[in-house]
Amino acid sequence: LQNSHNVKRKWDLNELLYLNNIDPNDVIKRWRQEEDELSNDEALSEEAEEEAEDFFQKKEPSDKTDEDLDHFQPMYKLDELKSKWEGENRQDAFNEIKSRFFVAPKIKKGGDDDG
Amino acid sequence: MSKSESKIKTFRGPRNFRLRLVLATLSGKAIKIEKIRSNDLNPGLKDYEVSFLRLLESVTNGSVIEISYTGTTVIYKPGLIIGGNLIHQCPDSKPVGYFLESMLYLAPFSKKKFSIIFKGITSSKIDASIESIRWGIIPIMEKFGVREVSIHTLKRGSPPLGGGEVHLICNTLLSSPLTLHALEVPKISSVRGVAYCTRVSPSIVNRMIDEVRKVLKPIGCEVNITADVWRGENSGKSPGFGLTLAAESKKNNWRFISEDIGSNGELPEDVANSCCLKLLKEISESGCCGRNQLVFAMVYMCIGKEDIGRLKVHKAQIDDDLIWKLRDIKEVLGAEFYFKDSDDQDQNQLIATVKGIGFTNSSKKIA
Repeated sequence: LQNSHNVKRKWDLNELLYLNNIDPNDVIKRWRQEEDELSNDEALSEEAEEEAEDFFQKKEPSDKTDEDLDHFQPMYKLDELKSKWEGENRQDAFNEIKSRFFVAPKIKKGGDDDG
Repeated sequence: MSKSESKIKTFRGPRNFRLRLVLATLSGKAIKIEKIRSNDLNPGLKDYEVSFLRLLESVTNGSVIEISYTGTTVIYKPGLIIGGNLIHQCPDSKPVGYFLESMLYLAPFSKKKFSIIFKGITSSKIDASIESIRWGIIPIMEKFGVREVSIHTLKRGSPPLGGGEVHLICNTLLSSPLTLHALEVPKISSVRGVAYCTRVSPSIVNRMIDEVRKVLKPIGCEVNITADVWRGENSGKSPGFGLTLAAESKKNNWRFISEDIGSNGELPEDVANSCCLKLLKEISESGCCGRNQLVFAMVYMCIGKEDIGRLKVHKAQIDDDLIWKLRDIKEVLGAEFYFKDSDDQDQNQLIATVKGIGFTNSSKKIA
């Protein structure tokens, strides 16, 4: 019984993309779940469920009618960005995008002040 | 009559209001948008949405717009895009970027050249600023063959009172855009930007520039921010400041954009900091385009020739908002995107492919 619970369908993004009866939130959720499964298939169901709960909680306020749904700038959460790029693991974050630049990022404190 | 009425594409809610109308105009199909904020305390269209409809009416010939008594339903039957010389007074609730951005979808497919002066606020927290359109959207247009389009800032106007003026000129008239093949994730060689202020001390600009240099120092690439201080008549009616950053690729002119402006009680350092963080986020989660350029590129891909266009996108860029937009594109234009895995080292990249609908500029057909 548990097994059947753990088996999740692999969703292809292209299958879901234009199914109008599935909410775009759910499309993303199903598609991403499959991604989690590929990377670490242990302890998935719990994690995924937790994630799903988080997801609903986060998304609830966005259903309010006063939100502007026709904007140009992407809506990022500044706290998340701060913790990623200015927190303890900032070096990892900068290393992650190293390949996107022509120059290699260097994270040394102090050093030369020509910048 | 009732038969054709029932065929009208119907949308619900205020989501993607401009995109839906723009797609309808390009395809020449009538659309109906219903239930616009019908459960809201202030139901129906906002003043800026009505203003946008008026703008559409004036750049087209023969458009019919019917707004219901409560303003919660709009029926739009598009006419031909004719363009021409216009002045558009934007309401204080939205900056000129809101209107300007959408006009760029239509401008190259017009009968006459577009020359529109937009008056009003020139920046806001959530809509496009002039710089991000100039550096973010216009380079994308160039890739589709629209080479002669320019935006001139005649006056800047910070919120809330505005008083700015921006001139859009589009001299390229195309029958259909080129097919895009963007399969190489661009490498960024430098970060450029503009820090501007209106009716405040120029030192604010320098504080923003210093903060940007500090935050972006770890990436070790060239950072070049221009100080743009506006004084006197041309600086609008309100004090304000803002920053736009663009990470430039060395090849092929791709740019990733982020922007922010100072609102009440915000320090210039805060604005610069959030702008940098957003830029880093954009770079870390992008294929060839940033999130704010992606839909524009995708629409242009759809209205191309009947050939498969390809664009590299990052998995993180596919979010619910994008899916809403892709569904709207399919609803009106009938073009469906297909996402393929890409074969390079980065597992997070996908290739978005779409077959153009073989669109031709309807005003060109006659000439």
